[in-house]
Amino acid sequence: METVTLTIDGLQVTVEKGQSVLQAAIEAGISVPYYCYHPGIGVDGSCRVCVVKIEKMPKLQTSCSMACTDGMVVSTRDPEVVEARAGVFEFLLVNHPLDCPVCDKGGECPLQDFSYTFGPADSRMDFPRRVFDGEGVRADVDFGPTLMLNRNRCILCTRCVRFMREVDGDAQINIVDRGYGSEIATFSEEGVHSLMSGNLMDVCPVGAITTRDYRFKSRPWDNPNVVDTTCTLCSKGCSTSAWLKAKPEWAKGSQLIRITPRFNPDVNSYWMCDIGRFNYHWIEGDARLRRPMQRRGTALEASTWHEVEPRLRDAVQAAGSPDPASVRFLVSAHASTEELFVLKQLVEGLRGAGGLTSIAVAWTRTAKNQPAGTRFTIPATDAPNVNGARDLGYRVGAGNEGLPDLEDLRTAIEGGRVKALYVLDPGPEGSIGDVSWIVAARQSGTLPLLVVQGVLMTDLCAGADFVLPGAAFVEKDAIYTNDQGRVQAASRAIAPPGEAREDWQILVNVAAALGLSLAYSSSDDIRRALATAMPGSAYAQAGQITFTRPVPAKSWLQSSNPSERWKWDFMFQDLPPVKGHNVQTEDMGREGAYIPLRAVE
Amino acid sequence: MAYEPVLTKHINEPNSYTLDFYMKNQRGYEGLRKALTVTPNDIIEQVKTSGLRGRGGAGFPTGLKWQFVLKDTPKARYICCNADESEPGTFKDHVLMERNPHLLIEGCAISCYAIGAKVAYIYIRGEFYHVQEILEAEIEKAYTAGYLGKNIFGSGFDCDVYIHRGAGAYEAGEETALIESLEGKRAQPRLKPPFPAVAGLYQCPTAVNNVETLCNVPLIVLNGAEWFAKLGPEKNGGPKLYCISGHVKKPGVYEASMHTTLRELIYDHAGGVLGDRPLKAIIPGGSSVPLLTPDQLDIPASFDGVQKAGSLLGSAGLIVLDDTVCMVWLAMNLLHFYRHESCGKCTPCREGCDWLYKILQRLERGEGRSKDLDLLFGVSNNIVGKTLCAFGDAAATPVLSTMKLFRAEYEAHVREGRCTLPAAWRAKQPLFAGAH
Repeated sequence: METVTLTIDGLQVTVEKGQSVLQAAIEAGISVPYYCYHPGIGVDGSCRVCVVKIEKMPKLQTSCSMACTDGMVVSTRDPEVVEARAGVFEFLLVNHPLDCPVCDKGGECPLQDFSYTFGPADSRMDFPRRVFDGEGVRADVDFGPTLMLNRNRCILCTRCVRFMREVDGDAQINIVDRGYGSEIATFSEEGVHSLMSGNLMDVCPVGAITTRDYRFKSRPWDNPNVVDTTCTLCSKGCSTSAWLKAKPEWAKGSQLIRITPRFNPDVNSYWMCDIGRFNYHWIEGDARLRRPMQRRGTALEASTWHEVEPRLRDAVQAAGSPDPASVRFLVSAHASTEELFVLKQLVEGLRGAGGLTSIAVAWTRTAKNQPAGTRFTIPATDAPNVNGARDLGYRVGAGNEGLPDLEDLRTAIEGGRVKALYVLDPGPEGSIGDVSWIVAARQSGTLPLLVVQGVLMTDLCAGADFVLPGAAFVEKDAIYTNDQGRVQAASRAIAPPGEAREDWQILVNVAAALGLSLAYSSSDDIRRALATAMPGSAYAQAGQITFTRPVPAKSWLQSSNPSERWKWDFMFQDLPPVKGHNVQTEDMGREGAYIPLRAVE
Repeated sequence: MAYEPVLTKHINEPNSYTLDFYMKNQRGYEGLRKALTVTPNDIIEQVKTSGLRGRGGAGFPTGLKWQFVLKDTPKARYICCNADESEPGTFKDHVLMERNPHLLIEGCAISCYAIGAKVAYIYIRGEFYHVQEILEAEIEKAYTAGYLGKNIFGSGFDCDVYIHRGAGAYEAGEETALIESLEGKRAQPRLKPPFPAVAGLYQCPTAVNNVETLCNVPLIVLNGAEWFAKLGPEKNGGPKLYCISGHVKKPGVYEASMHTTLRELIYDHAGGVLGDRPLKAIIPGGSSVPLLTPDQLDIPASFDGVQKAGSLLGSAGLIVLDDTVCMVWLAMNLLHFYRHESCGKCTPCREGCDWLYKILQRLERGEGRSKDLDLLFGVSNNIVGKTLCAFGDAAATPVLSTMKLFRAEYEAHVREGRCTLPAAWRAKQPLFAGAH
């Protein structure tokens, strides 16, 4: 790597050649404000707040556009810089409504933070402010199906314009009019229609673009804890952060308040798609399974684990004893590698080495409507772990490139050759594909026994004889292998609801009920066993994979964008005290301990 | 020795714009023929020796600009002719294109040859509709006559000239904004570096030259660099067009050498101040430059002469102001223009111009407070030097310059709560009330 060495505020900094002075300053922990610059999109140089003084240059320079050269001497604190910067900050607030108390960005707003640090104490502006669409919350106008736009708050940094042009690949946003009348707009006010739209809230350095999903739902200081996890809604496996609310009762009982992307240069850069961002409400939704259930006559009745397990054993043994091959399994590729590993051991324990042939893996594929020039492609496969299943020896056909092959299973079921079917479906709804034929077979009696280990009260569950409530992906520590073959950790953010259990444990208990002793007392144990079982593979280090626990969410920026991480240390130290007391996360602080189930209602 | 016009000698004769007239009276396309017999480098050297400086405003040596155009590249190169003449008080390019279009076309062709370009784009101001029609017709004739197109004069040199009409933005006259606009984007300036000479139009090496600059090129090739240099003072050679407007008896475009003083321009060429009133101030180079006062009339109207006097020759748009002009109103009037034309890309210019205009409006209405003067000064200084392009400096200049030279008038506005000029003079001053 070719490097250059320069001096910033007296500090010698060595950076990779080609880096800008701003990047060098940020890396050296020197606070330089910026708005139009974003590490994931091109340089614009228009906001003018990152000005610095560079020796031998007559005018102040924008550090975002100035490449570092050897021997360059930069000052970010020269009185000339301080004064010029304060002037620009005054300009930025001349027409900003300062409605921070009702603004979703308030508390995690770069305009607030930098203005406090670098701006003048007061404004000399005494004219009425520029108003575009109305005042107060009336100024919030529709900006497509996922977003709202408040033009009054906009500082015209054009990050959204450039994000759409450069990353999304469809330049739907631009500026109309010019000068003081410039405003962010879409053609014919159609709004943004993109699978990447949620990122616009992230890139917006003010509260101009907000998501309808998060709007008015929480204040930053009410989301005191954040977990670095991994999205499992497709085979890409974006690094994400799950945000937890301190007072779930303020948000209709939900703890999970939003999901934001986390920088991962190898997978998702700074971005994530709207599917992963907005499709989380089912996790704490009303359709969640909270208790085990068993069929009595035509109705499913709530039960308890200790009651269900022996009955399940009896039912499975009764159905499978004439022909063990008539017990079949259908597992969603949303199941984690640990679950697939335990399931594999379970069937092999029951049926010997060829046991895997009794398991079919299911997933769905959806063509994602994206512009041709996009820099962020969302894979068609909607499941996170097809590769994990393949690596464990499951039959997955063309894998992520194709559709699952369930014909064999379907023929067997419809031909009455299957006496018991065990389905593992950790959600979300529909992710296991079309299973109406299973429901039909059970209803007609062709399939005598249906066991569903799942998370949502789906049609499949409604038709089952036994329903075992499992955990959604944010409710368990688990690994998934994405379409690049990368083994990634998805950390537990919240506990499964009610009596629901982590799926590996359900499988271990079912195995025990069936007389198989799988001696795992935590998912860590399974990963260690997996590592031992698959030496020399991508899983050889599975035992050492670390999972994060909820940590104080000092700021959204901190966990979504490492190049802005320093900001916290400078500016966010006076975070208001966390309101309330989060029982859930307190339990999670116990390292490696199994978390006792606890009702959160 | 009386100055013999060379650029505008024939402009008042009938059909001066035609190819026939150009061939008959101005040794038409001989410059191009001659240029094609020497190397492109020779042309650049000749232009450098002539000392030709850009006529668009900055006065940057044209030969040097061409020399900077990246030669060692597989990319195409381009000439962009800046015909987006929008600076208030400037109307010289308009005359050249309307009355002497072939001089420009020939200049474009020679310039293309000099920098190794095959295409020249003339970016013409949106309002110059009839000029565009003339230019288009004459370009067509030049093609037919073989002065443009493939293999000109059998030399193997190809040159195409296209016209692109702007959509009416002052900022499109900034060279990088012009390039953006030409590419079909919003006319907003680019960050520099890279300069257009390295990455301009379609990221290819580009030279952006003013109409008058390009019109001088055939003259240099034809008459020699020394002839050109000797027309004016050292480093300020060549013919110069002056646009004289405001309170003069004969406003118009005048061609003179840069030996000519401001006094000669105003009193000899333009016939003196209207109604023989006392002169109050002159804006020597279009609205973006600092004012000069009557005691500075005897300086030569050259790039260096005007700069020495504390202003800039700019586009040589002389705006003459007599004693009836209220300086606060003048600043407000100009800021109305700049506020409207700011492209809005960078913060200080977008927010600052509007703010300045509002303060000036308040002063002119008689509602100003004494602290408004400091505020004007402070806001102006927060714009100067902090913007992406030179627009911000240009916009703050009328305020800073009038405040420096006529601060008493500002103070009087605050003290009296009204404009202190006689009511009869004030009546003519629109307030742009409710504009936008």
